[in-house]
Order: sequence, then C-alpha cells, then structure tokens
Amino acid sequence: MSGKGSLFSRLMWRMSIVLAISAAGLITAAWFYARAAADEAYDRLLLGSAFQMTESLTVRDGELQFELPASAFELLGLAESDRIFYRVIAPGGKTLTGYTDLDTGADIDASRKQPRFADGSYKGEDIRTVTIARALSLPQGVGWANVIVAQTVESRRALASELTVRATVLVAVMSLLALGGAALAVRYSLAPVARLGEALSRREPQDLTPLDVSVPAELSPFVSSINHFITRLSERMQLMQRYIADSAHQIRTPLTALNAQVSLIDEDQLPPEGRRHLERVRRRAAELARFTNQLLNHAMVIHRFDSVHLTPVALNDVARKAFRAAIPITVDPDLVVSFEASEEALYVTGDELSLREAIVNIIDNALRHGASARLDVKVWRDGDFGVVEVSDDGAGIPEAEWSNVLKRFHSSQSDGAASGLGFAIAAEVAGALKGGLRFRTKSETAPFAIQIALPLSSAPIEKGDAS
Amino acid sequence: MRLSASLATLALWFTTLGPAGALEGAREIFPAPGPEAGRLVIHAATDLDAMRPLIEDFQQMAPGVTIEFVEYVTNDLFRQAQEACTGAVESGDILLSSSVDQLVRLANDGCAQPHRSTETLTVPSWANWRNEIFGFTFEPVVFVYDRRSVPPEDVPRSHEALADLLRRKPDAYRGRIGTYDIEASGVGYLLAFHDSRQAPTTYGRLIESLSRSDTVTRCCNSEVLGETAAGNVRIAYNVLGSYAYAAARANPALAIVVPQDYALVLSRGAMIPNNAPRPQIGKEFLNYLLSPRGRRVARERAFFFDEGEPLPEGVDGPESLMESGIGRPIRIGPALLAAQDAIQRSHFIADWKRLIPRR
Repeated sequence: MSGKGSLFSRLMWRMSIVLAISAAGLITAAWFYARAAADEAYDRLLLGSAFQMTESLTVRDGELQFELPASAFELLGLAESDRIFYRVIAPGGKTLTGYTDLDTGADIDASRKQPRFADGSYKGEDIRTVTIARALSLPQGVGWANVIVAQTVESRRALASELTVRATVLVAVMSLLALGGAALAVRYSLAPVARLGEALSRREPQDLTPLDVSVPAELSPFVSSINHFITRLSERMQLMQRYIADSAHQIRTPLTALNAQVSLIDEDQLPPEGRRHLERVRRRAAELARFTNQLLNHAMVIHRFDSVHLTPVALNDVARKAFRAAIPITVDPDLVVSFEASEEALYVTGDELSLREAIVNIIDNALRHGASARLDVKVWRDGDFGVVEVSDDGAGIPEAEWSNVLKRFHSSQSDGAASGLGFAIAAEVAGALKGGLRFRTKSETAPFAIQIALPLSSAPIEKGDAS
Repeated sequence: MRLSASLATLALWFTTLGPAGALEGAREIFPAPGPEAGRLVIHAATDLDAMRPLIEDFQQMAPGVTIEFVEYVTNDLFRQAQEACTGAVESGDILLSSSVDQLVRLANDGCAQPHRSTETLTVPSWANWRNEIFGFTFEPVVFVYDRRSVPPEDVPRSHEALADLLRRKPDAYRGRIGTYDIEASGVGYLLAFHDSRQAPTTYGRLIESLSRSDTVTRCCNSEVLGETAAGNVRIAYNVLGSYAYAAARANPALAIVVPQDYALVLSRGAMIPNNAPRPQIGKEFLNYLLSPRGRRVARERAFFFDEGEPLPEGVDGPESLMESGIGRPIRIGPALLAAQDAIQRSHFIADWKRLIPRR
C-alpha cells in the first residue's frame, strides 16, 4: 500500500500498453493488407478491360483496325467513381487512339513478357495503370502494339479505407474484450493475496499459531516466511513466559521461608520501633507472595489459552467456586458478603480455570481495596451476555482511572499496596473469551461494581451421565 | 426542294418557337425580376424554348438572378467546354447537353466539379456519374410520322417494322424518311451508336433500308421535325420525345410512336464545369432542375415525359415504358467513353455516311 500503486493497476497498465502496441501493429497490417486487396481487386478489372482492348486490335486487309469495346469500359465502370484513361499504341509508337499524353514513364517494351502495373499521376490525379502488349502480324513484319489503361484510385482508396475501418473496429473490440478478460483474470489471480491479507488482519493479537491459508505457489514463500517469523516469535514469547513463571516459582520458595522466619521472630522482645519494622517486613513479604502468585496465575492463564480447547462453562458454577475461593475464612466478620446466582443456567464458551481466576482476582481486589461493610457477587443475564458482577460499598475507582487499572502493574491506590496484575488478568481472560470488563459508577441507588460480561453460548451437549 | 424546306423550317421556327430560339449559338438574357444580386450563365445544347419555362420558374424562386442563356449545337458546346476547361475561354456556370457522352468525356478529363445535395440523391443511379453529371430529363427516343401521308397500316411500331415498311414500299417513302446527320449532331451520333449496340442485326437491316430509301438527314431535331411538319418528310426516325411532343402539340398532323421493341431513353445531362465562375448559382439551378418543382414544370411545360409518369396523352406506345423493359436508358457512365473514342467515332460515322450521304 505504499506509493507503488496496486498490483492490479500495475498489471493492467502494462497489459494495456502491450495490447495497444499489438492493436496498432494489427491495424497497420490490416491497412497494408486492405490496400493490397483493393489493388488486387481493381487491378483485375483494369487488366480485364486492357485484355478486351487488345483483343479488339485486328489486322484486316493489311491495315491495323481497332474498335473500342464498350464492354471494356463497362467493366472499368464497376469502379463507379473512377475516371478512365487509355491509350492504344500501334507498332512503331504511333498513338492510334485515346489520350495521347498518357504515359507510364516506364519502358513500354517491358510489358511484352507480362502486363505491367504501375502507379502514377495524370491530369493531376493519382492513377493506376496497366500496360499490355500484343504481337501483330502486319505486312511489313511482326510488330508489338501496346494498350495502356489507367484508372483513378478513388474506388481503391474507398475500399481500402473501408476494409481498414472494419478491421480497426474488430481489433478495437477484440482489444477491449481482451482487456476486460485480463482485468477479470488478474483480479481472480490476485484474490489469494487479498485473502492472505484478510487472514492476517483477522487474527487475534495473541494468536501466534502458523497461518493456515491455501495460497498459490508464488505466494507460499511469503506465507512460510511469515509462519517462520510467527513461530520464532511464539517460541520467544513462551521462553519469556516460562522465564517469568520460573522466576516467580523460584522466588516463592525463599519467600515462604522468609515468611516463616519472620513469624518466628519474638515480637515481645523487640522494642516498639523494631516491632513496627517487623510489621512492615511482614506486610511487604505478604504482598510479594501475592504478587508472585499473580505472576504465576497470569502465566498459567496465558498458557492455558494457548493450549486449552474452549468448552461451554456454566457461569453460575464458576462464579460460585470463585466466590468460595476468594473469600478467606479469616474474613472480617463485620463484612457482609453475598452470592446471588442467576435463575436460568447461563453458559459461556471458555476455560473454567482461567475464568475462575479472573473472577477471584476481581473479588480479591474488591475485598482488599473496596469493601468496607458489604460485598455482593451476582450472576445475571444481560441480553446475549452473561454477566458476573462484583459490587462493594467502597469508594470505587474514579472513571479517569478505568483504562489505567487494566494495565499491568498499575495501582489505583497511591499507597503502594498495588495489586498489579489482578485487573489485567481479568481483562485478558474476558478479552480472550470475546467479552469485556465493565465498570459501573457508584450512585445513590447502586454501589460501585465491576462486571465481567461474556457472550452466552448454548448449553453443552449432555454426554451420558457425566455433567 | 432544299430551299423550300429550309424556308419552311425557318417559318416554323419563327412561328412556333419564337424569335429568341431561332439561331443556334444565340444568346438570350433573362433579366432578374427583382434587384439583380447574381448572374447565371447557362451554356446549353438544349432548345431554349424547352428551357424557357424552367428558367422563368427558377427566377420566381430566385428573383435576384439574371440568367444568360447561350445556345449551341452539341458538338460546338463540347469544343467550347474543352477550351474552357483549360481556361482558354470563359466557362459557363452550368452546362446542359443532350449529348451526355460528351459530358462524360469532359468529366473524365477532369472538367467537372462534383455536387452533392438532397436533390442529387433522388437521381437514379443510371443518370448520375461521380456526382458530376446528372441526367435531369427523361426522354424516350421516338418515331414521328405525318398523319396526312402515312396510312394507319404503315405506321411502324418497332425498329423492325420500320425496316420492313421501307423494304415493302421503297418507292412510297424514298426521300421521305428523316433523321439526324450524325456527323453534325452529337446526340444523333449517340443515338445511332446505341442503336447499333442495342440491336445490331435490326440496326444493320434498318440502316440498309434507310440507305436504299434515300433518307434525308438534318443537323438537329428541330430541322427534322420542321421537314416533317412541312410535309417533306413522312417518317422521322430517332427523334427526342420532348421535341416531338412539342411539335405534335403545335401541329396536329404530327403523330408520335414509341417503338415497342425497344426505346432508347436519353437523359439530358447537366454538369458544373470546374472553371465555372459562379458555381454556387449553377448548383442552385441544378438543384432546381432535379427538385420536384423543377420536374413538375419540366413535365408540364418543357420535356413532357417523366420516368414515374405514364406517357403523355396522344403518344402511341407501351403503357409502362420502364417496367415493361422496353425503355433502355442510356446509362451515364464510363461506357459512354467508348462512344467518344476518336477512332471509334470516325469509323462509325464513315460507315454511316457511306450508306446515308447527306442530302
């Protein structure tokens, strides 16, 4: 799509040039042919009438006699618009009759072997002449008489130009047809390129599987290059994720040890200053543990979407499991939590584990940063979407922050106790399942809420007694 | 006898044709009815008397045009036009001639200019060559006889019948048959030439019969008709229908027969010379001649015969001249060049004169 124009127009442009050149060549050839054909046709008339005239040359009583046959002129009169000149020359060069100044310019004796045609001009008109000779036996010996017949060239030119015009029309029509056919053929041949482009642009951003498009042989190096590139990129990504997961895993073990060690410290023996430091260490360690878990979860979610086949999932079940997993036993007894499943069974296409992780993350975030006295989880249907809504009575997230919280390692809180990956995981899962994460602002009647909306699918086909 | 005939002819000219058409080579001016805006010079080998109604009607349409009409015999017209073609003498704006072979020769030599208009499109193809020569009349070639001296059973209705009659009654018609002098008259030569082509055998017998009956030859139609009207000639052979009809109207003793075996049909030719000083007016006049209005005037007052119309009243002949195949138009085209060939012409005329000396 750069300044080089489209392949189609490049091909058509070159094709038009080739066609135009060949059409010009054909028309030129047709013109030559038409002239030759017209000359041939009218030369026969000319020759025929010249023969008739020579036949009328007779020797009677030793005298050369000539009687001009009207049929000779009738023959020439078939070229309706042409003027006719003739000259009959007796042996010895004396003009017997006709236009005495009619001359072909060539040696008249050259016509003895065969009739000679020539182009010339007479009385200011272009003419075609034929010179023909006949041997006559006169008392003084054998002599050659000549007949020159000339005709103006109007009919020839009219015929030649008519033939040329017709040929031109034919060539023009053929060229246009060829151009139209070429346009269709080029379009058809270029269709795989468009298909390839479409297949590339239709891809999900995280889809790093090789392209599976059938393309003509000329395009397959291109496709295999792309696929090679995709494979390398995919390997690189996997390597990075494994690195992150491994790192997180590696960090977890010393972290657990650190937590254990911290819990072993006897607080009572510490001065108040030391106790405060210890508390800080404990909090930071817990945060680090959670963060490490999230990293692992994130890696797990991404990995699952790369490898797991999506199936219909009962939204109520997933949400309930997530609810149970997210609310710790040690939850503040003053906090009222509730779960409300939808009345009808809602199914979405997805991966149960990832979806649960997403919901857990949202509930976890609400517990940690939002809810002070109340947290509700609700599953309901919104048109073609199934919605899992987590609402709390906290301050909520200001609208300006909505897009930011979805980014990794961003915290809505300024105190540094950031979740980092919670919303990012939820948003990623929702996006992968063709749904989305939505926010609802706090109002007089409704609390702040975060919703995961996912497109509904049909219920799974019952497979025997397995549910 | 010759003197009296000539006197009679002169008398006839002055009485029936009026003074202006009296002499060939004569010139008559038709002043413009309105203020003069243009001038048209017509060089014609055509009777002024026939052309007069057409000229006057044309001046009704174009009142600003003064028309100068110069009359020639066909051969003089031809020579004059050949000289005009080279620029030696002043050309007319339009040439009219019954001797169309001469016009064809002139056009073939490049002495004509083409003309195309809606009127020229209506001209049948046999009467148009290269859009340079147009036949503007339709004139069957007829026999004229004197009712006073030719009994009904003797009236020849074909060329064959004429030859037979002369053979059967040589004495009754000796010196009483008239026709053109084909040496002096271009149209006479043209008609005789075509007769010889059209029916060679009949023509041979006829010419032989004409020879034996001491045929009278005159330069032109009007003189032959004059001799007939005067009672000197009983049967006139090869007379143009228009002149014959005009003469028959003037003299009820004359009767016209269109031969039933074949009748040559001549179309008088019109041509705009290449050197015409005022070709535009010439072309306007030509358009007028070919237009329905011009044709109607020609049919009613000038030439009487018309291709699409039945024969005029009182003419003895076939009902439909063209459809029956009896009418043989003399095609205006290059074949007429054969008639104009010098050696051809001199041989033909020499043969003719050997049989029919001028008397």
